[in-house]
Amino acid sequence: MAHGTLGVLLLLAAWEVIGTYRLVGSTWPSISEIVVFAASPSRLALYGRALAATAEAVFLGYLVGAAAGLAGAALVALMPASRITTDITAAVINATPPIALGPLFIVLLGHGAAPVALAALNVFFVIYVSVNAGLHAAPRARHDLFQAFGASRGRTLLRLLIPSAIPHFLTGLRMAAPPAVIGAILGEWFGAPRGLGVLIVSAMQNFQITLLWGAVMLASIVSIILFAAFGVLERVAIRRYGD
Amino acid sequence: MHPSEQTGGRASHSAAISIRGVSKSFDLKGRPVAALDSISIDVADGEFVALLGPSGCGKSTLLRLMAALEEPSSGIIEIENRPAAELARSHRLGVAFQDHALLPWLSISDNVALPFRLAGLAVDHARVNELLSLVGLSEFAEARPKQLSGGMRQRASIARALALKPDVLLLDEPFGALDAVTRRHLNGELQRIWQQNSITTVLVTHSVDEALYLADRIVVLSGRPGRILRVVDVPFGRPRTREMTRSAEFHHLCDDLTDALRGLAEEVRAA
Repeated sequence: MAHGTLGVLLLLAAWEVIGTYRLVGSTWPSISEIVVFAASPSRLALYGRALAATAEAVFLGYLVGAAAGLAGAALVALMPASRITTDITAAVINATPPIALGPLFIVLLGHGAAPVALAALNVFFVIYVSVNAGLHAAPRARHDLFQAFGASRGRTLLRLLIPSAIPHFLTGLRMAAPPAVIGAILGEWFGAPRGLGVLIVSAMQNFQITLLWGAVMLASIVSIILFAAFGVLERVAIRRYGD
Repeated sequence: MHPSEQTGGRASHSAAISIRGVSKSFDLKGRPVAALDSISIDVADGEFVALLGPSGCGKSTLLRLMAALEEPSSGIIEIENRPAAELARSHRLGVAFQDHALLPWLSISDNVALPFRLAGLAVDHARVNELLSLVGLSEFAEARPKQLSGGMRQRASIARALALKPDVLLLDEPFGALDAVTRRHLNGELQRIWQQNSITTVLVTHSVDEALYLADRIVVLSGRPGRILRVVDVPFGRPRTREMTRSAEFHHLCDDLTDALRGLAEEVRAA
């Protein structure tokens, strides 16, 4: 933990130095410049509106994506024969560049849906893979025990497979944080009314470098907070459900 | 079941477990490897049989076949005149293995109650408490498995095996990973528990001492593929005491069986 904090501090210090002395040119502002720039009431309100829109998309994306990921993993657990089909479908969806999917979502779901849809898609894949792994995590000795006690498939799922998968599910929620935020921002590029993604695109097109980096920083902070919060839950789950 | 009915049933000495010409081979990189060869044993109702053999002789495999965790390649295993798998399916089998397989997210008391839940029965809390006190874990009922010592976990796993008053108890080196002193102590407790319940029991072990102390009959298996080498009736009455283990007869049998095992171990090394 101490090493991690030190690493972050070093990174931030390097960023500040590079920005202050323009070591890599004018497109790299220092952190203090970004903070001072953002600290005016009108800009705070601008960032706030954008953050609220993106956070909402990330939240809904998590809900939809996690539910879909759990449903996919449950399908595979109940019908092992479907595994190959489901795995390949999930992998193909994940391998398709989201840029190509954005227009598709606009056609299918309407203009405002792309941020939630792309966030959900990214969350889905991570949750599907991690829960699938979790459902196979119970050691052989425990399966043998359940079989010897005559447990049905349903009771084995309920009392062995699902509890064994809980820590993996939370690992999945943690790992899904950055992809969820990136998905929401990318989705906002397809004509969302507001959001950090919208701010990033318009700042880029108008060469407002400091505004751009402020939005990027906010997006990173959202990622990091989610990542850390799910990390805490994950550790609790491992303490309870792990050996 | 009423106690007297249970005793009556046992007096008939019908074979509770009947193993007829059982062989088992595994596929190892496309090549069949024989683990067991033409095993035939009858275990009487209420009898305690120890399977003794060098490591890798297939004694655990034989136990897994009885638990219907695996299928024999040939031959028949019947328990109470029905296929072995039916006993497990009807929740009348108790098992405890070297890996205690306690669920880390359940308390000790809930782990002992697990067989009730897996059978879809209401948990008999009085029975769970009785078992916990039988194995000396009453004070640890609400503890998690990881808070307990290795010996305590094994005792919990034996209590769990007994929860539904099974017809057959299968034990695979339940104390194998413990130190000698704890192991001896738990063997004493196992005998006491077994005498109170008198369930048809098969114990897999590589300890001659343990087999002689606990079993009515010892089946000695040869090295791979496992074949029955000898069947020894243990002449000691019950309850067995530590004094008994110091008698000349005990030592004689112990030496005899140890020699047989040592011979087998050398065979296995030579092969």
